[in-house]
Amino acid sequence: MPIVRRVALLLLLSLYTAFAAGPFVWAAIMSVRTTTEIMADHFALPKVFHWEKFPLAWFNSNYNVYFTNSAVIVVTAVAIVTLVGAMAAHCLARYRFRLNRVIYFVLFSTIIFPPQITIISLFQILVQYGLYNSKLGLTLVYVAIQLPLTIYILESFFARIPSDLFDAARMDGYSEWEIFWRISLPVALPAIATTVILNFILLWNEFLYAVVLITDEANRTLPLGIQRFMGDQLEDVGMIATGLMIAIIPVIVVYAFFSEKLIQGMTAGAVK
Amino acid sequence: MAVLKLDRLTKIYDWAHPPAADSVTLDIGHGEFMVLLGPSGCGKTTTLRMIAGLESISSGTLAIDGRVVNHVPAKDRDIAMVFQSYALYPHMNVRENLAFGLKRRSVPREEIARRVTTVADTLGLSALLDRKPHALSGGQRQRVALGRAIVRDPKVFLFDEPLSNLDAALRVSTRGEIAKLHRRLGATMVYVTHDQVEAMTMGSRICIMSNGKVVQVGPPLEVYRKPANTFVASFLGNPPMNLLPAVVSDDAGGRSVRIGDTLLSLPAQRMPPQRSGTALIFGIRPEHVTTDRRGAAAGIEGEVVQIEPLGAETIVFARLPGVEREFIARMGPDVAVAIGARARFQLDLGVAHVFDESGSALVPPI
Repeated sequence: MPIVRRVALLLLLSLYTAFAAGPFVWAAIMSVRTTTEIMADHFALPKVFHWEKFPLAWFNSNYNVYFTNSAVIVVTAVAIVTLVGAMAAHCLARYRFRLNRVIYFVLFSTIIFPPQITIISLFQILVQYGLYNSKLGLTLVYVAIQLPLTIYILESFFARIPSDLFDAARMDGYSEWEIFWRISLPVALPAIATTVILNFILLWNEFLYAVVLITDEANRTLPLGIQRFMGDQLEDVGMIATGLMIAIIPVIVVYAFFSEKLIQGMTAGAVK
Repeated sequence: MAVLKLDRLTKIYDWAHPPAADSVTLDIGHGEFMVLLGPSGCGKTTTLRMIAGLESISSGTLAIDGRVVNHVPAKDRDIAMVFQSYALYPHMNVRENLAFGLKRRSVPREEIARRVTTVADTLGLSALLDRKPHALSGGQRQRVALGRAIVRDPKVFLFDEPLSNLDAALRVSTRGEIAKLHRRLGATMVYVTHDQVEAMTMGSRICIMSNGKVVQVGPPLEVYRKPANTFVASFLGNPPMNLLPAVVSDDAGGRSVRIGDTLLSLPAQRMPPQRSGTALIFGIRPEHVTTDRRGAAAGIEGEVVQIEPLGAETIVFARLPGVEREFIARMGPDVAVAIGARARFQLDLGVAHVFDESGSALVPPI
């Protein structure tokens, strides 16, 4: 009964899609409705499309500043994490040296600490070094929190690259540094794309560290900007939805750009 | 072309374990095709990797053309290597794979293009130059790996079991291609394998290794005919040499050796000088055994336990009285024996081997 199975599968997939995409569609609809309209009927479709809310949020509500801050901090952090993480993973996977596994274990074990434990000491450290309330400070923190997972993902991928490949490059006359750039990185591109997407999405949406370590209006990131529309007395739901839509665009762009590589990375076991 | 001199080359990975390569001493001449042969874990690949510069040398010296290169990095030794896994760069097409080594050596662009074209033509890769390795068959990948070595025109070629990933038919034809390549280039080549057929058919000389040590070096047929010990005797040859426990005996008037319940009178020049009662190992290759149809000549009698007719020849397995090991005879295709029946085997004692109990050859074989 292939038809029955097909229908059942379609039904299941439709349900799942509705479940997963529903909130997003709802927020997208709310982003072009005013808060008054939303209060009147939460789920109605827009009668008039209030596109003017987007420039309003961008210029009047400081979203241009938040967006730029987020972009600078996240792109820098992801670039550093990717490069340093790849180098570390390359070394840990490729070279035999004393304490290799100990270093790997120590690095990786740091991911078990929840942020609530480290955040107070991080706050102290940043204050002492004059990095509190600065974009540089937040960037460094982002690098530190994402590095272990990145090294973990990349190390397991690098370890699967046959060592003959490196030996062949050595015989071909290349130095260890050149081998990293010309062999390790290109071959591991699918895994690197995976970590770029993962880190970008996680950091772009990161709220906890940002809210503790940044108070200055000029240094706020997007998640903090969206939070500004939530007051004690009033929540500007319409503007929050508009802000969310602005915030989500880069994530979609990055994902679309790297997703092909991501799928390659997930099916990397098939690559000989 | 180059001369390689390995002098007591030793590799120790871990002091708790015996050396992976133990005092390997070997001279490889200009244009020689030297095969390092041995079972897995015998140290042949470790030796090859030390020559390549991919493994550090724990002790001993390695000289290329008289210059000690122990501490010269792999890239400056002017050696090319073909790996067992081919090790083609997966993100580069065939052309880039071939050119990669030349680019690093700042060979002019036109020269690189010319050399790549020439090598691709020779190896029949011209139509595949823009393909990535994953779009090639095993044999084609193998040829690219070969081409990558040839295009560099190195002093020495190293091969690390390059045929072991190919199917049987392709292995035979590639074996021929590599041998032809060696004749054409006249380059010094060192070839690692555990396959005795490759060693016998390709090598100018064979170096047999066991437990990290060199056991015997020599031209293939010489090593086959005059094994220095029971390891070489049993490793070379398929089916392997019969190695039977024996005792020197003076019983029957003259000197002879007793195998199980059978007394064999060896020709005087094959007879070991040991005293009566000394334990020995008697060796005879299966092809030096025939069935004695007339039943007159001296031989050895046994019960046939298995027959393997291979078409061109028949392998007969027999059990000799008082001997634990199975006796193997390689006979003509129409040999008249039956499983369970007794048969009389005639041994060509003029080419028999005699080893002492520890396995070293006693009487130098002819």
